[in-house]
Amino acid sequence: MPKEPVTDTIVALATAPGLGAIAIIRLSGGQSLEIIQTLTQGHHGKIPARSPTILPIEEPKTGKLLDHAMVTTFPAPKSYTGEDLVEISSHGGWLVPALVIEACQAVGARIAEPGEFTRRAVLHGKMDLVQAEAVIDLIEGRSRATHDSALFQLEKGLSRRISDLRAQIITIEAFLVHHIDFPEEDEAPIPVGIIAEKGKTLLNDLDELLRTAPEGELLREGALTVLAGLPNSGKSSLFNALLGQDRAIVTKIPGTTRDAIEATVSVGGFPFRLVDTAGIHDTEDTVEQLGIDVTQRYLNHADLVLLCVESGRDLLEDELHFLDKLEGRPVIVLRTKTDLHTKKDKDKNFIHTEIAPRGADEVLQISALEGTGIARLQETLPNLIYSRLVRTGGFVPALTRARHSDSVRVAKNHLAEFIQELERVVPVELASTHLRSATIALEELLGVVATDEILDQVFRDFCIGK
Amino acid sequence: MVADSNYDVIVVGGGHAGSEAAAAAVRVGAKTLMITPDLLRIGQMSCNPAIGGIAKGVVAREVDALGGIMGRATDASRIQFRMLNRSKGPAVWSPRAQCDRELYPRSVQSVLKELMGLTVHQGMVSGLLMAGDIIVGVRTQQGIELFGKTVVVTAGTFLRGKIHIGGEAGVGAGRVGEPPSISLAKELENRGLEVSRFKTGTPPRIDGRTVDYSQIERQDGDPEDFRFSSYTKECVPEQRPCWITWTGKDLLRVVKGNINRSAVFGGEISGLGPRYCPSIEDKVVRFPDNPRHQVFLEPEGLETTELYVNGLSTSLPPEVQIELLQTIPGLERAEITKTGYAIEYDYFPPHQLSHTLEVRAIPNLYFAGQINGTTGYEEAAGQGLMAGANAGLKALGRKPLILERDQAYIGVLIDDLITKGVDEPYRLFTSRAEFRLTLRQDNTVRRLGPMACDVGLLTQSQEVEMNNLIDREKQIQRWFVGATIKPSVANPTLIKCGTSPIKETVRILDLLKRPEVSAEALAIAGHAPFDPNVNWNAIAAVEVELKYEGYVRRESERAAKLREQATFELDGSIPYKTFKNVSYEAREKLSKISPTSLAQASRIPGVSPADLQNLILEVRRWRRESIVTSSIE
Repeated sequence: MPKEPVTDTIVALATAPGLGAIAIIRLSGGQSLEIIQTLTQGHHGKIPARSPTILPIEEPKTGKLLDHAMVTTFPAPKSYTGEDLVEISSHGGWLVPALVIEACQAVGARIAEPGEFTRRAVLHGKMDLVQAEAVIDLIEGRSRATHDSALFQLEKGLSRRISDLRAQIITIEAFLVHHIDFPEEDEAPIPVGIIAEKGKTLLNDLDELLRTAPEGELLREGALTVLAGLPNSGKSSLFNALLGQDRAIVTKIPGTTRDAIEATVSVGGFPFRLVDTAGIHDTEDTVEQLGIDVTQRYLNHADLVLLCVESGRDLLEDELHFLDKLEGRPVIVLRTKTDLHTKKDKDKNFIHTEIAPRGADEVLQISALEGTGIARLQETLPNLIYSRLVRTGGFVPALTRARHSDSVRVAKNHLAEFIQELERVVPVELASTHLRSATIALEELLGVVATDEILDQVFRDFCIGK
Repeated sequence: MVADSNYDVIVVGGGHAGSEAAAAAVRVGAKTLMITPDLLRIGQMSCNPAIGGIAKGVVAREVDALGGIMGRATDASRIQFRMLNRSKGPAVWSPRAQCDRELYPRSVQSVLKELMGLTVHQGMVSGLLMAGDIIVGVRTQQGIELFGKTVVVTAGTFLRGKIHIGGEAGVGAGRVGEPPSISLAKELENRGLEVSRFKTGTPPRIDGRTVDYSQIERQDGDPEDFRFSSYTKECVPEQRPCWITWTGKDLLRVVKGNINRSAVFGGEISGLGPRYCPSIEDKVVRFPDNPRHQVFLEPEGLETTELYVNGLSTSLPPEVQIELLQTIPGLERAEITKTGYAIEYDYFPPHQLSHTLEVRAIPNLYFAGQINGTTGYEEAAGQGLMAGANAGLKALGRKPLILERDQAYIGVLIDDLITKGVDEPYRLFTSRAEFRLTLRQDNTVRRLGPMACDVGLLTQSQEVEMNNLIDREKQIQRWFVGATIKPSVANPTLIKCGTSPIKETVRILDLLKRPEVSAEALAIAGHAPFDPNVNWNAIAAVEVELKYEGYVRRESERAAKLREQATFELDGSIPYKTFKNVSYEAREKLSKISPTSLAQASRIPGVSPADLQNLILEVRRWRRESIVTSSIE
């Protein structure tokens, strides 16, 4: 194994700064083992690999003791980055980790750029691009479902699925190569009809994966859920009820919430970006006008709209008009403030309030004050937005970025063209050009390097050779 | 004794690579010497008596278009011709010919004799003459020193060659009955070149008079008067059939029972063999469930009854070879005329070469053929021609000749060799070419003729023939594009092809775009002013270039993109190992292979698209910084 060529050594705090009893400092690069030896002069002899050892960390010039820390070394290539890597678990707080990092810098390390450890891991082939993205998602994840999905992706769940689909395209290519390059072999060529059939199965698989994209992409950011409704219809109370803390100012004066307030909440384990906005009615008040513009802007991107309508009355013209304009976007009508109406009132209005008006997916009765209906809402939200994931659980391959679905869609379209042309009796050597493009699309997604896998497969699967 | 000992180019070896190298060097104007151990064996077919096949047939046509010998020699010796892949589109048609083992080399030798400026010397090269790092000539076993401005080594399987039959220890040999070349191999290795070993095998030959033809299937050639050579119309000899039979269960039993006596499976041979040309032992071990394997009996020539048993390459002992042969239907009483064997030899991993096939570490030294880890007469000939031409051009102080991947299979071959290296004996397939719709057998003259002419590879009469041919093809294309056809004339053909009839006069081109209608059918129906039977190759070109114009255009767009990448030049001075934003594997590979352009770098296995992106940035940064540094100095 050739020695790692000159790369500089990077250092950074791996845990959140300031807080915590322990801080983990990471070193990666050609000099990291040397650096840790220098910082632990007090300890004589070599630090054992992959075995946590408590060592005195000293300032290199003065020999002044900085901390007693637990040091673990991970020589290349079996480390997170694929380079020599050292983890120093020092005491936490602000000062000690800073001193240790400073000491590392003094003997040749430089501060890592954001994401640089993961980038190096990709460069050294320790993970593919899809996995690297999952690292970010895992760190930034805001709900259990996001966490599950990121973890699955990090453990190559998605990469494996995509690699598997790529391998299937290569199998089809191998059939064609056998067809074209070895016309005189023992085994007769695979009939074109069978090749087309295999293509169709694969097309379905690609489609299936592509269908995970809308929910997968929402998992990362959270589904944008806009609370809409006339001023004083109970939006902010609902917002707070879902959030579990008094974030929005709740008053009885119409139009208190002048700008949008946003918070990400985990509902049933799934992330929702909740936005409380100004009311939907037109107004002369310029400050409030601004608030309504915000509403419109959010509405354009909303994944879900919660229209709050005070219970005990029919929907107004404005509200019906608003529902019409939402054009197929998921919407729940919430009949709010049920606590203000007596049981008799409720009975009277039963017909009006239980049937979903035109354009709405669901109607629910809630009282933020009494907490009634909130549990049902929390159950409804994931079912409406993350129905696939609710059904399958988080540990299935899902496309979590636009980049993913773009590539899979390109692959799918090329495959579809390939099948069409085979059926239109276009010569196989021409139709097969689409397969190459499909493979390249998936390879770009993974960031992997293509090799001569097609020929390898031909030689493995067919007895070739006169 | 050689009268004059100073040459422009010295070619070591007289096989398919050596012959083409010598001829090409002479054609570009270099005073050339060929040294080979046995003058009578120049151009010999050491393995099967056939030229062409998938992709290889296109290479034979390319060699011809570039003024080489192979096409003419094949025409003059072919005793059976077939166009492979006839059932697919013309883009992957490949001509293949069975050749007379006596006539082929005789034809090669007669072409060489016509070349003024070529000296041929019988001898074995034992060492190199060097001036520092630069080669200046060679020394023969008899101690003769010969000087050349450039030297092309085409040593075939001779370098430390070792023949294996059965479980016996191997015997040193370059080919059967010829000694190996040991000192040359050692000297090249001592000069710091990386060396490795491959193996290949041959099947036994049998006496055709001992075959029961009533039990086996006859395979006749195609009736077309096809020519590999576009410039010279050689007389084609009378045609012979091949024969097909199948191995059965009894053969499996014999091979399995004796597997340990095979040189390959008994552990005698360490070199790697080609997966696409496996021995019968390989087939039985790797595909134990296949009950039968196809065997082709190929005539070795007109004057001999010998048959080449294609598909039965083996290194089992002679007595096992006869036993397994006689299990095969039709061969129950067959007698072996030559025993099959495996041969192991040195090759020099070709990443050590540049695109001209010059050895990077030893200026003026060129390698071609099996020494570069390839197999096949056609692959050898293609490299030989390019190495010989470039050795000649360099000796004369002229610009090199390099074929790109979108210009010729030869370009694909050489670029693959130096960029990807080899891990088994390399042969061409259409799947190695990303521009196979362009690299066809029907357009070799249009693709390569003018270029060959510019460099001086064509004779005057070849040049005239080339221009005639290109003009004729243009006329045919023009007819397909310009002519119209009436419903009454077209409809019978259209109906016969299973497509809807037309109601009014349309352009021929519009009908050509229908997948069901062939160009040939339209030429006949439309009473074209040319004979479709004579011009069927030009019509095949129309079939691809006009009917599937969209595909060809997409391919040329990709090629243009590649050309663009090729303009971002790289060179050996770039310190790849210091580029920390390029993956470790890519850094290692880039340093080892030293690509000449970004396009070549993109083809190196282990260099990812992300690496390329970062490589551009790193190289630009490095170039900026080195300019700053040098201006400060």
